[in-house]
Amino acid sequence: MKYDVCIIGSGAGAGPVIYELAQAGFNVLVLEKGPWFKTEHFTKDDMVATRRAIYTPAFKDEFHVLETKDADGNWKAVPTHESRTDFWNGSAVGGSSNFMSAYFHRLKPNDFRLLSEYGNIQDGNMVDWPITYNDLEPYYTKVEHVVGVSGAVVPHKHLEPRSTPDYPFPPLVTNRISDWFTAAGAKKGYNVIPAARGIISLPKGDRNACYLSNYCGSFGCSSDGKSSSRAALINDALKTGNVEIRPDSKVFHLETNEKNEIIKAWYYDLAGLKNSVEATLFVVAAQAVETSRLLLMSKNPSSPNGLANNAGNVGKNLIFSAVATGSGFIHFDDFPAEKIAEINNPMTFVNRTLVDFYEIDDSQSGKKIKGGIIDFLIEHSNPMPKAVKNKKDGDRLVYGSEFKTKLHTYFTTRKKVRFEAFTDWIPNDNCYVTLDPEQKDKWGDPVARIRLGYHESNKIPGEFLAGISKEILTEMGARDVSGAVSTGPTVNLQAGGCRFGNDPKTTVLTKDCRAHEVPNLYVTDGSFMPTGGSVPYTFTIYANAFRVAEKIIDQLKSKL
Amino acid sequence: MAQFSDNIDNLEHWQTNRRQVIKAAILTGTLSQLSFLQACTANQLTEEGNDLLDANQVGILKSVMEILFPNDGNGPGIDDLHAFEYIMWVLHDTGSYEKYRNLAIEGITWADEQTQKNQQKNYLELSQAEREQAVAHFNETDYGTEWLSIILTYILEALLLDPIYGGNPDGIGWKWLNHTPGYPQATEELRYENILKTVRAAYPKTES
Repeated sequence: MKYDVCIIGSGAGAGPVIYELAQAGFNVLVLEKGPWFKTEHFTKDDMVATRRAIYTPAFKDEFHVLETKDADGNWKAVPTHESRTDFWNGSAVGGSSNFMSAYFHRLKPNDFRLLSEYGNIQDGNMVDWPITYNDLEPYYTKVEHVVGVSGAVVPHKHLEPRSTPDYPFPPLVTNRISDWFTAAGAKKGYNVIPAARGIISLPKGDRNACYLSNYCGSFGCSSDGKSSSRAALINDALKTGNVEIRPDSKVFHLETNEKNEIIKAWYYDLAGLKNSVEATLFVVAAQAVETSRLLLMSKNPSSPNGLANNAGNVGKNLIFSAVATGSGFIHFDDFPAEKIAEINNPMTFVNRTLVDFYEIDDSQSGKKIKGGIIDFLIEHSNPMPKAVKNKKDGDRLVYGSEFKTKLHTYFTTRKKVRFEAFTDWIPNDNCYVTLDPEQKDKWGDPVARIRLGYHESNKIPGEFLAGISKEILTEMGARDVSGAVSTGPTVNLQAGGCRFGNDPKTTVLTKDCRAHEVPNLYVTDGSFMPTGGSVPYTFTIYANAFRVAEKIIDQLKSKL
Repeated sequence: MAQFSDNIDNLEHWQTNRRQVIKAAILTGTLSQLSFLQACTANQLTEEGNDLLDANQVGILKSVMEILFPNDGNGPGIDDLHAFEYIMWVLHDTGSYEKYRNLAIEGITWADEQTQKNQQKNYLELSQAEREQAVAHFNETDYGTEWLSIILTYILEALLLDPIYGGNPDGIGWKWLNHTPGYPQATEELRYENILKTVRAAYPKTES
């Protein structure tokens, strides 16, 4: 059987394509590396989600090699099975969107023209996008309605243009500490506003609303309230009868003909046997690192350096989110009992954000530079990470009655308030994906080797936003307030590697996310993004995938 | 005397068979918490050793656990948490990180060697005060800190993971820390060793 479309991956970059093509009547095959968890398989079991990390591959089976700079400035490569640094996010039907926290911020118009607006940065590869915010706006709106986004639009100076006045789902119920963040911001002159979430607050079709389990990020959702690709799109797409999902199917090669068209996708099944499928069009959406890896692995006579890589751009300009994080503690004995009663409950949603500094005046350069957003939150509910952190006091292991007192005090007398500030990860020549020349996965294929070059200029807006955040936490009355820029990659927020653009010499994909060199290959995960914006990527990945789905349908119709 | 010897022989024979059962279960990956506890009574685990630890090692491990997380009137102690039984399951669980499992066991022998070297006594011959001093001394070395840290993490798992894994009976650890667990909680079908089997059994039948 020859399918109309074979889609590799099933996360946020794949779901809209699966959904739209199925609705349009095309037969769709989805090859997903991970297993197919259904809603009823998700529990709030810390052993499954974090201690044994069942939602990601075991280190012995699949891993990465990470290149980071050592103290002498030399690049050092270490396999993740040695460092125990997990670079996976969720290997399952629906991908990591099953396990996301789902902070859904739109990009702003300036994010589409960073080079024009702010100029290049030395040793940075800033560019403008080949599309504008206006091109993507209808698809953000579509995501809000079809996938499901809750929140409340309020005016602020960086509010992006919207074709609808508000989100289709009202804001989720939050811990009342949200009001503390808002009030503290107001006292300091900052406009702390509601944050939108990719979580529905009312039922939608077969999906139930969020039931406030308080175990959200890192856990699958038991009501389908979280707007994962699986719950929000794939389940509905399956109802058309036009979609076949093959879980546990790891694609390792895309075979082309003499015209450099893909004719087959080769994959390993659960038993490790090699299989192949034929399709008219192929869509790769395996998350940025693995998408580049698959293309690089797919060497053919017409593409000896890997598929769509004759110009040598696949894997280049990988980006993450540049972040600054920090925290403080609200001590219960610092406040009247009635105030603490407002916040001392299991409710973990805060959903407050500060967007005032999406653009900032840099005191050093005297220019306007790109800033970012700050999300405010409280510590996740699952207790193991909190408890493990309490084992150490500096480098000293704390144990015995001292440890028990510390642990009990931590859990029962305070609440940890946190911030996460997001800014642009400046694309640069030292952040990219290649194939490791030695290390192999369980199938004998080369693993992705990722050089994690961090641009020092990322720190400027990060430190600025960390300072604002600490002011707000201090104003709230938090103690032990701290925060700093992190120079490491955000494993769960990865993009780039297959930039889209108009020049086939410098980009991998056209502005429609079709490969310049391969007429029947589309890439619809975050790989297309040449710059990332100062927000988490998932909302934009969903929106762009809806946009590209229309282009794919147009191409398929033209072949009929 | 003869009768005692017979009993010892029988006991050893019984233990040998039991160890073979457990080892076979480990090799085939079928040793869940339930079957592990059915295979090993608490008495066998604590006093007579088992397939991984001899009686001396069991004694040392239990003593160190009690020092790391004492029954001091502030919340549950390790017996309340079934922490020893939990750790024995982890040490048999091939899904847990092998390096830490090995280090957890090797550290017990290392601890005994340390007290033999420093105090000229086996660990179990030390008084309680001497044992506490010895553990403090272990914590002054990199190896000792890493070993103690692993054991303490296992104790925390017995304190805070779902009771289905053998620790935290009736949520005693959660109650102590005023923690509200998430819902739905783990089930036997969906516990970590079984979940992928359960998930794959639910796949729709498709033609390939």
